[in-house]
Amino acid sequence: MGKEKAYKRILFLFLPLILILLFLIFPFYWTFVTSIKPETELYGKSVTYWPRDVTFQAYRSLFIDYNFIKPMKNSFIVAMSTTALTLFVATLAAYAFSRYRFRGRRAFMILFLTNNMFPTVLLLIPLYAIMRRLGILYTPLALILSYTTFTIPFSVWLLNGYLSDMPMSLEEAAMVDGANRAQAFIRIILPVLVPCLVATGVYIFMTSWNEYTFAVMFTNERSRTIPVSLKNLIGQLGVQWDLLTAGGIITIIPVCVMFFFAQRRLVEGLTAGAVKG
Amino acid sequence: MHQRKAGIWPYLLVAPALLVVIAVVLTPVLNAILMSFQSYDLRRPSAIEYIGLDNYQAVMRDTLFWESLWRTVLWVVFGVGFQFVFGFSLALLLNKPFYGRGIVRSISLIPWVTPGVLIGLMWRWIFDGNFGVFNDLLIKMNIINQPIPFLARQDTVFPAVVVAIIWQGIPFFALMLLAGLQGVPIELYEAADIDGANVFQKFFRITVPSLKNTIYVTTLLRIIWVANSVDVIFNMTGGGPAYASQTLSVYVFNKANALNLGYSSTMSILLTLLLLVVAVPYLKSMFKNQES
Amino acid sequence: MKKTAIFFLTAIFLVFSAIGCKKKDEESSTINETGNPISITHWYWADNSEYSAKMQEIVNDFNEENQQNIKVTAEEYPWDGGGYSETLFTAAMGGGGPDTAAWKLTSTPLFIANNLLAVLDGYIDNWQDKDDIESSLYDVMREASGTDSIYVMPWNTQVLYVYYRPSMFKEANVAVPETYEQFLEACRKLTRDTDNNGTTDVYGFGMRGAKGGQEPWGSFIWARGGDFSDFTTPQAVSGMQDFINLYKNKYVPPTAPTDGFNEIIANFKSGRTAMTIHHIGSSSGMVETFGDDVDAFPFPAGVKQWTSMGDTENVMFEACDNKDAAFEWLAYLATGKGQEKWCITTGNVPVSKRVQAMPEFQENKFMKVSIQGAPHAGIFPILDTTTEWINTIWPNTVAAALAGQKTAAQAMQDLQNGLYED
Repeated sequence: MGKEKAYKRILFLFLPLILILLFLIFPFYWTFVTSIKPETELYGKSVTYWPRDVTFQAYRSLFIDYNFIKPMKNSFIVAMSTTALTLFVATLAAYAFSRYRFRGRRAFMILFLTNNMFPTVLLLIPLYAIMRRLGILYTPLALILSYTTFTIPFSVWLLNGYLSDMPMSLEEAAMVDGANRAQAFIRIILPVLVPCLVATGVYIFMTSWNEYTFAVMFTNERSRTIPVSLKNLIGQLGVQWDLLTAGGIITIIPVCVMFFFAQRRLVEGLTAGAVKG
Repeated sequence: MHQRKAGIWPYLLVAPALLVVIAVVLTPVLNAILMSFQSYDLRRPSAIEYIGLDNYQAVMRDTLFWESLWRTVLWVVFGVGFQFVFGFSLALLLNKPFYGRGIVRSISLIPWVTPGVLIGLMWRWIFDGNFGVFNDLLIKMNIINQPIPFLARQDTVFPAVVVAIIWQGIPFFALMLLAGLQGVPIELYEAADIDGANVFQKFFRITVPSLKNTIYVTTLLRIIWVANSVDVIFNMTGGGPAYASQTLSVYVFNKANALNLGYSSTMSILLTLLLLVVAVPYLKSMFKNQES
Repeated sequence: MKKTAIFFLTAIFLVFSAIGCKKKDEESSTINETGNPISITHWYWADNSEYSAKMQEIVNDFNEENQQNIKVTAEEYPWDGGGYSETLFTAAMGGGGPDTAAWKLTSTPLFIANNLLAVLDGYIDNWQDKDDIESSLYDVMREASGTDSIYVMPWNTQVLYVYYRPSMFKEANVAVPETYEQFLEACRKLTRDTDNNGTTDVYGFGMRGAKGGQEPWGSFIWARGGDFSDFTTPQAVSGMQDFINLYKNKYVPPTAPTDGFNEIIANFKSGRTAMTIHHIGSSSGMVETFGDDVDAFPFPAGVKQWTSMGDTENVMFEACDNKDAAFEWLAYLATGKGQEKWCITTGNVPVSKRVQAMPEFQENKFMKVSIQGAPHAGIFPILDTTTEWINTIWPNTVAAALAGQKTAAQAMQDLQNGLYED
């Protein structure tokens, strides 16, 4: 690598990357610093960028007094199931939308789109009644079902976008070779689609992981998810900053670690056979 | 693409997705539409009756509705606009190989992982006029000498909430476009290199056209999402001071919490129609593009 | 390929039929057979982790002590800036929700209008501890319902008063205000530039301009002779003008229009404000920060004297199957051990006279100030418009007035229209 190239790399890669990352990470850093600051320092005369007294008390009490593992487990179950279910049905629908032209296609797609436009707060009372009648209120199933109603339409659209960008020649070649549609899909399209499935999956996971409005209605003490547990830390007597921020950090880190492993798949599609066509 | 005999297959494939969505939300949505034609105020349940278009007329006369609508437009344009620019840049950067890329990729997802409950409060805390770190930084850099109460001033509160939503949405675009970039055949770039194309030519002639559908879809979905988002503004300012940061969705939310469901359904139906209108040019060119 | 299609469809039907089966299970389990404990579900919110633990402790005590084999399950819900009441409402309207729940008076009209609450008069009349609660409190409960019946069981109250820093009063040479005029004067004198660098670093008063600020604000309106039946009287407007002037003259932090509970307490604790208004709930935190250098006085009298009474009650839902058992539990919270424990932990003013007389409450200086203020303590008119008025109309109108976009008179007119809708 020449000198000029290294200089270019810094200017066009590392510099903008660092600037954007700074913006993205600073609030996270600040959350972390807040979680280990004693209250007196939080409201001190001057702002400290690293606490003078570091305390991990909040983390201790979250795990010991609050059993924070439980809502994390609940959130995880709900988010994972929602992701699996959504990806499965959305991929089927998206494939139909991108590879077939059929009567009602546009109408269905627009229906999915408008579904996302309507504010959930207006649907709460009837939805609660439906969940109760189905007998799934306060079980993870209630959340999974209600989350899929907005993750499915969104994912269908996203995946349809990806599939439409994918050259049709790939599977056509396979089908000429005698493979049927399902075989062509599984052998040719699916490997290329993996990065997009990962990205969409991450989207679904995040949405269900962070949702509050449905979660507070459809869960009880046993099935509480993280956003509700976090909100429980804000009472009439103000925000318990230390616990709230510590709770935030605890929920952010495992997801980031999980994504670290998932993101490898983001490039795998490329090597797996995208360029055969 | 070739017109194939579709038969029943596409319907079977779409059915599961459609079934889940319709089974759960159909009645609630129809219910909400009906409510917009009624004086549906749960504070006065005995007085609920059909009132035709009265709610719609009342909304049209409501200055707060128009102000909130205009703010929604700005909210979407600046919010989604900057999310897209930063998100796309980040996607391109993260697509280049460098040491530690995996870690950087997962770190840049942080705003998205952060629970919505925390986002509003955290940004409120950062912009705080007394103990806020943003003021402290500006003072340390000698840009200002007195802390500015960002969220208490009507001229600064809106930019402040927009910054928060930009922050929150960058990872979405970054991740979605990064995934899309994996499908762009390398040969195209190699061919362009041989032709001596520069970075910008490659970007506009190869990258953007190859990602056209993905860009359409992600932007459209993001516009809808941001237009409907409530929790960042609600937790930061509640829409205040003096409604200076109230978007239409926050207004709908406040009215729904006040249990005037008829009025708030009316506003959300109008917002939905409006979003559809915005989506039409998108949809048209997208459908044309896909079906040609 | 057909096989796969059939597979999907069967899978979907399986999911839905599984849902159907579950429904049956739930129905059978709610039937109570004799010998089984009577179960009561109670919803509450906790203002901090200590309160949360205390509530669970009270529930355990009750479950062990009661003779009727009642088993209470207490479920904690987020306060969510008042969103608690909406969650409760949605659940109750959707046919679910708890048997009993912690309560704020302001939501009463809404729930009664939708026939969700159980009438308690019959239970209270036959209750041996009935007279342990001041009869005036029952009147407040009746008034809040807008009917002649009691739907709400008293639990505890908090009286707002002024916190102040004795050391700052000394430095600024200010005596504890005894009249409203002296209070305004104190706000001015206590606003100081202690290090002479040209910027104010201590403000006289920590004003709450965000949601919830209507409570301290009410004291200003009454001090000038106004009241809540008509916000547009010259007296009420002049109280509003005082409020605006405090901001205009910079005797309160510039963040006041959006300062909520968190901010006023943070400002006070950090020494940025010399006085602020809140109730006894925050006293333990104050003492932790300042030791002896924090004290309180009741909001002083002007033409009239008024301070806000914060309230927390409990209600029973009409849909509750075991109302006798539920009342047993509510009574335990109102006058029994539950009352004692809860009030000692939270520092709230007990409603039970027996508990009020306990030494824990007689010796606390903040409790004394609370009791001193109690005769002047009142609540806002509870109408079906009150919730919206508190949540959006009051904060936004006052913010516009503080910013100078509305005169005091215009703002008061808007507040009048918002509450009384005329």
